[in-house]
Amino acid sequence: MASADGGAYSFSLTTFSPSGKLVQIEHALAAVSAGTTSLGIKASNGIVIATEKKTSSILIDDSMLDKVAVVCPNIGIVYSGMGPDFRVLIAKARKSAQAYWKIYGEYPPTRVLTQELATVMQQATQSGGVRPYGVSLLVAGWDINRGPSLYQVDPSGSFWAWKASAIGKNMVNAKTFLEKRYNDDISLEDAIHTALLTLKEGFEGQMTEKTIEIGIVTVPSAAELEEGKIGGETGRPKPTFRKLTEEEVRDYLAL
Amino acid sequence: MSIMENNGGSVIAMVGKECVAIACDLRLGNQALGVSSDFQKIFPVTDRIFLGLPGLGTDVTTLKELFRFRVNMYTIKEEREIEPETFAHLVSSTLYEHRFGPYFIEPVMAGLSKTPSGGFKPFIAATDLIGCLNFAKDFVVAGTASSKLFGVAEGLWEPDLEPEDLFETISQTIMNAVDRDAYSGWGCIVHVITKDQIVTRTLKARMD
Amino acid sequence: MLSVPHQQPNLHVQQAHGPQQRHFNPYTENGGTILAIAGKDFSVIAGDTRQSEGYSIQTRYAPKVFRLTDRAVLAVNGFAADGNMFVKKVRQRLEWYRHAHAKDMPLRAIARLIQTMLYARRFFPFYVYNILGGIEEDGTGAVYSFDPVGSYEREACRAAGAAQSLVQPFLDNQASTAKFSTSRTIPLTEELRSLSFSLSAELFLSGCYPIGNQTLVSSRPTVQTNPYQSARQPRMDNAIYHKWR
Repeated sequence: MASADGGAYSFSLTTFSPSGKLVQIEHALAAVSAGTTSLGIKASNGIVIATEKKTSSILIDDSMLDKVAVVCPNIGIVYSGMGPDFRVLIAKARKSAQAYWKIYGEYPPTRVLTQELATVMQQATQSGGVRPYGVSLLVAGWDINRGPSLYQVDPSGSFWAWKASAIGKNMVNAKTFLEKRYNDDISLEDAIHTALLTLKEGFEGQMTEKTIEIGIVTVPSAAELEEGKIGGETGRPKPTFRKLTEEEVRDYLAL
Repeated sequence: MSIMENNGGSVIAMVGKECVAIACDLRLGNQALGVSSDFQKIFPVTDRIFLGLPGLGTDVTTLKELFRFRVNMYTIKEEREIEPETFAHLVSSTLYEHRFGPYFIEPVMAGLSKTPSGGFKPFIAATDLIGCLNFAKDFVVAGTASSKLFGVAEGLWEPDLEPEDLFETISQTIMNAVDRDAYSGWGCIVHVITKDQIVTRTLKARMD
Repeated sequence: MLSVPHQQPNLHVQQAHGPQQRHFNPYTENGGTILAIAGKDFSVIAGDTRQSEGYSIQTRYAPKVFRLTDRAVLAVNGFAADGNMFVKKVRQRLEWYRHAHAKDMPLRAIARLIQTMLYARRFFPFYVYNILGGIEEDGTGAVYSFDPVGSYEREACRAAGAAQSLVQPFLDNQASTAKFSTSRTIPLTEELRSLSFSLSAELFLSGCYPIGNQTLVSSRPTVQTNPYQSARQPRMDNAIYHKWR
């Protein structure tokens, strides 16, 4: 029964193998490991998430490609694995953030949104007729309660908070690299450079603003916070997550 | 005969200096017939938020439980206490869910919200029965004596009242207002919320 | 201002439906608010001057507080036409009284007269809520309030009209927390003026402008020339009134 290709248990998701494994989930993780490298670093004054953007042909218009996605003004996500699955998850995440806003008049804390996404991904490991999502996510966000936080979500639906993490093809090397480079009082600027250095380690080809995508979380100042509170109903608080423009990425690469 | 006036009852909330107060009457009636003189319409939501629910008696109980449920779920999920502003939005969206078959309640909220610098700021709000929010800076009123409460509050309230003065002001306001309302009265309860304590007092009122 | 529904009689419709009833509503509610407070040896009677019909303002200066004698002031609220006619009739009766008795009618007698006059129209009433304020024969300040058909009562304070429900409990409160004194009461009516001014909900029906606001003080001359009154509201003067439009 047990064979190299997973055997009989590899087809039905709702069936455990005798050894207690859900083989499809492991296959999903394999799909993630085949994906391009993404990473996230939590700094003392913000978070950076970054990924390499690889196109299979020079004919592809890479301006269409978005691997770092804004979910709501305070949360962004990057992924490794299957692009289409990510798009579906982002759509669900954005809907969930808006639904939360409709109820509470504010956007969800990072942890709540991550939990919501993790639940969606877990459901795909237990429902009939579906397969797990072939992506791992790095969710970066800021909220008044916990400040900046960085989470990883896997196809199984498990999630953890990280100071720094990497997913995808070079995750093992990248994590080792990050372990060496990371310290608790790293600044956001330094973290962005560390992120680029880490990506460079396993990078095939040229690292340019076209092949790198970066998102950052910034921590609002006390004054900005006070203003955001007053703005309340109509004046929107300043977004705390944003993607770096190509120009900004080019400047970071030049340094 | 309006459903909003079936059981009677009124609530008012006022802002003071680093404090808020909320008060309700204790009458539950069946039209002109008085049924109970111990029917509270204000409920604690967190240590720093109170919710007043004047309107149809059965909906007072139902909404009290519904908000208990929703706030408990929020507290567990988010691992934090809900803030007054957030709670006001929860109340609003909960009521709007029933836009075309509403709960016959006009909620009034009072609380202290945390400021980013770690202090506390007075907060009051009220909604209509389908959740249209009113964030007032001075006072909010609701219930069968609302216009009377409005008149007295407009005459008595002033900015930056200390807790004791705020208590006196809200007490005088509700007592004089419900004494002119056949559907409210039969005793009052007042809560004054400050950053380190909540003072709750029951007021004796005329019973005629 | 009366609205008469004007429709062209349609003969075809009349034939098709048989006899049709036309109705005419002789009453209109003209909004506004009046109030009175009784003190130990004085009383204050006040009213706004806006006259409205529905959400339309007909005029911002149509007084509804009238001096009857040196010691009696009558405020009328409800249907303005009835109010004006009623005051005219009361004044006529008071004049007859003066001719017959060579003195002004005492306040309590005016109150009873008003009851009689209102009840005389029990089945086609004056649609007016009256508040009578003044000084009794014994020198005490008094307020009498009436319903449209003549039920009346002597009270410490009374409000009537569009903002009655807002003002009455406030007056109750002020009456119960302290006895009214002249120095307290006149600022109090000022406060009430600003009250009805700031109540946007009621502004439609009873809002008033500072100079258009009438405050008649029925008491001794010293009170009538109160510095507060002369400083803030010299006279009800149309020239000044126009500045406020």
